[in-house]
Amino acid sequence: MENKKALIELIDVTKTYDEENVVNNINLTIYENEFVTLLGPSGCGKTTTLRMIAGFVQPDKGSVIINGKLFNDLPPYARPIHTVFQRYALFPHLNVFDNVAFGLNNRSWEYLVNFFGKDSIAEEAANIAGGEPKKSTIKKVVKSRINKAVTDALALVKLKGFENRKVDQISGGQQQRVALARALVNKPQILLLDEPLAALDLKLRQNMQYELKEMQRKLGITFVFVTHDQEEAMTMSDRIVVMKEGVIQQLGTPKSIYNEPINRYVANFIGESNIIPGTYVKKDLVNFLGVDFACMGYKFADGEKVDVVIRPEDFDVVDVTKAKVTGKVIFSLFKGVHNELEVQIGETILLVHTYENYEIGQPIGLSIDPYEIHMMKVETNE
Amino acid sequence: MNRLYKGLARPYQVWLIVLVFIPLLSMLLISVSNYSVGMDLANLQITLSHWNLLYENVSSTPGTFSNPFITAFTNSLTGAFFTTIISFVLGYFVAYQIKRSRVKNKLIIMTIIILPMWTNLLLRVGGFANIMLENNIIESIFGINPLGGLFGTWPGIVFALVVTYMPFMILPVYTALEKIDISLEEASLDLGLTPFKTFWKVIFPLSMKGVVTGSIMVFLPTFAGFAIPKLLGGNIYFIGNMIENRFIYTRNYAEGSLLSMVVLIIILGSLLLITRFDKEGETLL
Repeated sequence: MENKKALIELIDVTKTYDEENVVNNINLTIYENEFVTLLGPSGCGKTTTLRMIAGFVQPDKGSVIINGKLFNDLPPYARPIHTVFQRYALFPHLNVFDNVAFGLNNRSWEYLVNFFGKDSIAEEAANIAGGEPKKSTIKKVVKSRINKAVTDALALVKLKGFENRKVDQISGGQQQRVALARALVNKPQILLLDEPLAALDLKLRQNMQYELKEMQRKLGITFVFVTHDQEEAMTMSDRIVVMKEGVIQQLGTPKSIYNEPINRYVANFIGESNIIPGTYVKKDLVNFLGVDFACMGYKFADGEKVDVVIRPEDFDVVDVTKAKVTGKVIFSLFKGVHNELEVQIGETILLVHTYENYEIGQPIGLSIDPYEIHMMKVETNE
Repeated sequence: MNRLYKGLARPYQVWLIVLVFIPLLSMLLISVSNYSVGMDLANLQITLSHWNLLYENVSSTPGTFSNPFITAFTNSLTGAFFTTIISFVLGYFVAYQIKRSRVKNKLIIMTIIILPMWTNLLLRVGGFANIMLENNIIESIFGINPLGGLFGTWPGIVFALVVTYMPFMILPVYTALEKIDISLEEASLDLGLTPFKTFWKVIFPLSMKGVVTGSIMVFLPTFAGFAIPKLLGGNIYFIGNMIENRFIYTRNYAEGSLLSMVVLIIILGSLLLITRFDKEGETLL
């Protein structure tokens, strides 16, 4: 990360609506070519954060810095950022082609000439005119460049042949792609995506996840993605920002957030997990469920109370005689790939995923590898 | 259930037949009858003799020839045209400002706009006619006379028409504007268009439905109405005044029916135009 260039910097950004801090003192740096996901339940401030980057919302405090320049008061139309909206926001009075061409068609002449490259346009126009090109020839060249850019963008999102369709005559998935093409055709430095997949069905959503990731890698554009779906975030992101009530809870790679959640909230939000109260006995030894377990990599004070996090799939289901702890299966659900079990050990009920079949009431033995045991500080305010 | 619904529709069907279809048919019949004054079923003859009203010049003042129908038609068209244009420009502006305003209860603003309609039209127009004369009550009380001298002039007529019919423009335009998703505006800004360009490329095209509906709702009553030109038009008369004249004063029902049919054709044409722009009729409500 160190050698990467910071593209977006949010410094102490706060936004208040009706005396409530929707976004509370956020600090976040997003680098070039990154796929960053803002993850959290609705009302956690992720969309407001996105809208501040887009320029639709002005922060009350703090600064939004993009490319090293202060962007706080710059209106949305002056930012090199484009957004894919949640409900796509396609223009109903235009067809697919004109929707995608909308941004370029309405740019100033100077902008377009710079956008396509002054020299390259002059050269092409000179070739056509066979000498000093007239203004009308240059105009024609720019027009054809726009057409080509739009056609390319539609090909990129696999919508070739849909140019003349009306936007209400295509499916939700296709509208989604049009929205994407409409933003990408302008070659933004940053693409903001506000829960763009929320309205699609599961299969389509999964396909789009891979395609988005692929596109981001290919085009080298920074994607800032907003979602409440942790699976979506896991699949696509380079880094995930978990938010709650306007505050960033944890920031890290999908792996680190999944494996080492910093607190109960993150652990619960990112996938299913068992959170068990325990005691850090001494280095590499933790006691929970009445048993001492070997652990590794955590440093707490000896005897300190900790919360132990174990993912349901991290339990090893073993023979009762060889098990560290034994319990009773009180619930079993076949999920296709695995079985979802609820195991009662004393007062505690654990969620366990296993490939083995267990009947309700059957005893079960569990053991846990040291590296699967994650620990967090006990939160006193909850 | 289905039969019950059919039964419920009966009264209205009868109503339609008795009060709409039969009168329309009689109107058509009377327009090709030989009646010149009153009606006389015993001597009914089918003739197109009255239709020359549409093209024949008559001598109104000695030495000059003109066709009163053409004059009335042109007057109606001119009045309706200018009223529609002015109502559009002013009404759109008002509707747009209401849409943009941060006032929570926009219904109140709309009510204020409709409020003048609660006063009887004739009373309102009569009032206008009064203060458009020289030496009117405003002048004697306040010593100023802003509308004085407008009586019987085109500006006076168009002023009264605009004041009366502009709400019919504001309402559908406002409805159309309100239906435009705010995210479309944001998408346009996001794609690099300034607010001014966004208005012309997104907001205005998407509000066209409302503009067309509103224009027709202003155009039609202005074109076919007779109260305003009658009360403050002086010598300027519209086609509605001509129809009124035929039916009430000269009792030339054939000519009156013929003129009514001309108006009817204009109305039907306009409604066809609405249905082409606004298929669901959403801005009509």
